[in-house]
Amino acid sequence: MILSKNYILSSKIIGLIFALSIILFKVEDTYSTLIFVLIMLSIGIPHGSVDHLIAFINPKSRRFKSKLSFFTIYLSLISVNILLWIFSPYLGLFTFLVVSCYHFGEAQVIGFNDTKNKLLNFILGANILLSLFLNNIFELQIILNDFTFFSSIDLTPYDKTFFLLISVTILMISVVQFKIDKKVPLYAEMSILYLIFYHTDILTSFSIYFGFSHSLPMLIMEYKEMKEKSFLKFYLKTMPFTLLALIFGVILYYFNNDLLTANNLILFTFIVISSLTLPHVFIMKDFVENK
Amino acid sequence: MNTLNFILGASLQPGDFVGFTFFIGSVSMLAATVFFLVQHGQVDKKFKDSMLVAALITGIAAVHYYYMRDQWAEGLGSPTELRYIDWILTVPLMVVEFALLTGVGMGSLFIASVIMLVTGYIGESGLLAGGPWLWGLFSGVAYFWMAYEVGALTRIKIPIQGAVGEALANAKGKIPAAGAMLQWFVLVGWSIYPLGYLLGTADGQWYAGIEPLLGGLPMDIVYNIGDAINKIGFGMAVWYAAKD
Repeated sequence: MILSKNYILSSKIIGLIFALSIILFKVEDTYSTLIFVLIMLSIGIPHGSVDHLIAFINPKSRRFKSKLSFFTIYLSLISVNILLWIFSPYLGLFTFLVVSCYHFGEAQVIGFNDTKNKLLNFILGANILLSLFLNNIFELQIILNDFTFFSSIDLTPYDKTFFLLISVTILMISVVQFKIDKKVPLYAEMSILYLIFYHTDILTSFSIYFGFSHSLPMLIMEYKEMKEKSFLKFYLKTMPFTLLALIFGVILYYFNNDLLTANNLILFTFIVISSLTLPHVFIMKDFVENK
Repeated sequence: MNTLNFILGASLQPGDFVGFTFFIGSVSMLAATVFFLVQHGQVDKKFKDSMLVAALITGIAAVHYYYMRDQWAEGLGSPTELRYIDWILTVPLMVVEFALLTGVGMGSLFIASVIMLVTGYIGESGLLAGGPWLWGLFSGVAYFWMAYEVGALTRIKIPIQGAVGEALANAKGKIPAAGAMLQWFVLVGWSIYPLGYLLGTADGQWYAGIEPLLGGLPMDIVYNIGDAINKIGFGMAVWYAAKD
């Protein structure tokens, strides 16, 4: 079980301390962009920047004949995702949600159960995203302003507590349906995430979850699997593609107003993330198999 | 004192007894969290999850009591919303303790606690029509379902109990004794919450007479005392079963 290995637990505890510091010291929402940028650049993007190496680690699940075929498929998936967002934002959003639900759930379940139950992976990821969105639903309506079917819903009769109650209720009902080796610790960890989602704004919530509960454990797991001599040496290997991802984001931003979101920076950022996530999900699916 | 106040938004005024119970609530929950975490390393492997959940319950409560103390000290009134956030997160964890001790009943206890919380919230917030008494009644029924399920009614010689109660009675070691403590908490400790609910929603209701009956006892004091007894007490009962 991975959770019994200290590094997974440690990264989550670091995240918890970070989150509690933000909550108790009442760090203003104005810093959320800075927190997001720092976490994404230092942990979030790097954890996906060694996909080209880890795709060839597990011989049983290797699907690529060469690096060329890997990069062709990888970049094609990124391009397909961007085209989806351009021509059908609803389909782009739907794809992002479905893929993210599975990927986040798959990573979350490590240490509590094996990753073979795909429905469980998906449901857990869906719970995480649902809670993130429900606990920040008024902010989300502003971000998804272009999606009028959602942003025009009048939610003023409800307060934030109502949405927390709904997300916890759904979590409880879904968790009891599955056979999970460590059901209670998993539920307990999800409860902590929900507390963070409630008390911080959407960008900070996502940063903390994505950085410390998802990316950092995966980053350390990748380091262990690649058997590098030092973490620094491994981390340096993530840098070239982190930089490329950044350049990709900047280039896309140059065309942003014509193609994508018209000055909605947060939505734009999520489109970039979703584009990078799509191929990454397939690589990680092979990587975490049986973990 | 000002140097220490970097973490607190407002100071309690002299004679603010309600505010003081919020303060006591936050520090006692924090102390209990530290205690349970320390004990987590001392107990047998099979009780580690229980101790961790106990620490989590008081930890989540400590965070929210810190917020509640702050809201109260700033003169923003009774922190009902923060209480519900705390309860929504901690009540399911409290019922989980029964499942951890016995290995059964998580599903039914989760469903009962969901009904209890949702209907309680609707009644207290006035979100839907029907009046607080009706939603309170639904919430009460779910509470008694839970009390039945864990065997709490057997403490007052009502010989009916659910699967969790039976499993507690037939368990080995200190679990039956710890289970009995938990059953008392559910039966007596948790009954404080309906009292607080009645006090909080009494205005204009047929049970408005309850306020003078209790001598104008503020709802927040009832809840604060109830929370401290139940959350810390729950963890202590589990620790009793786990030690040695």
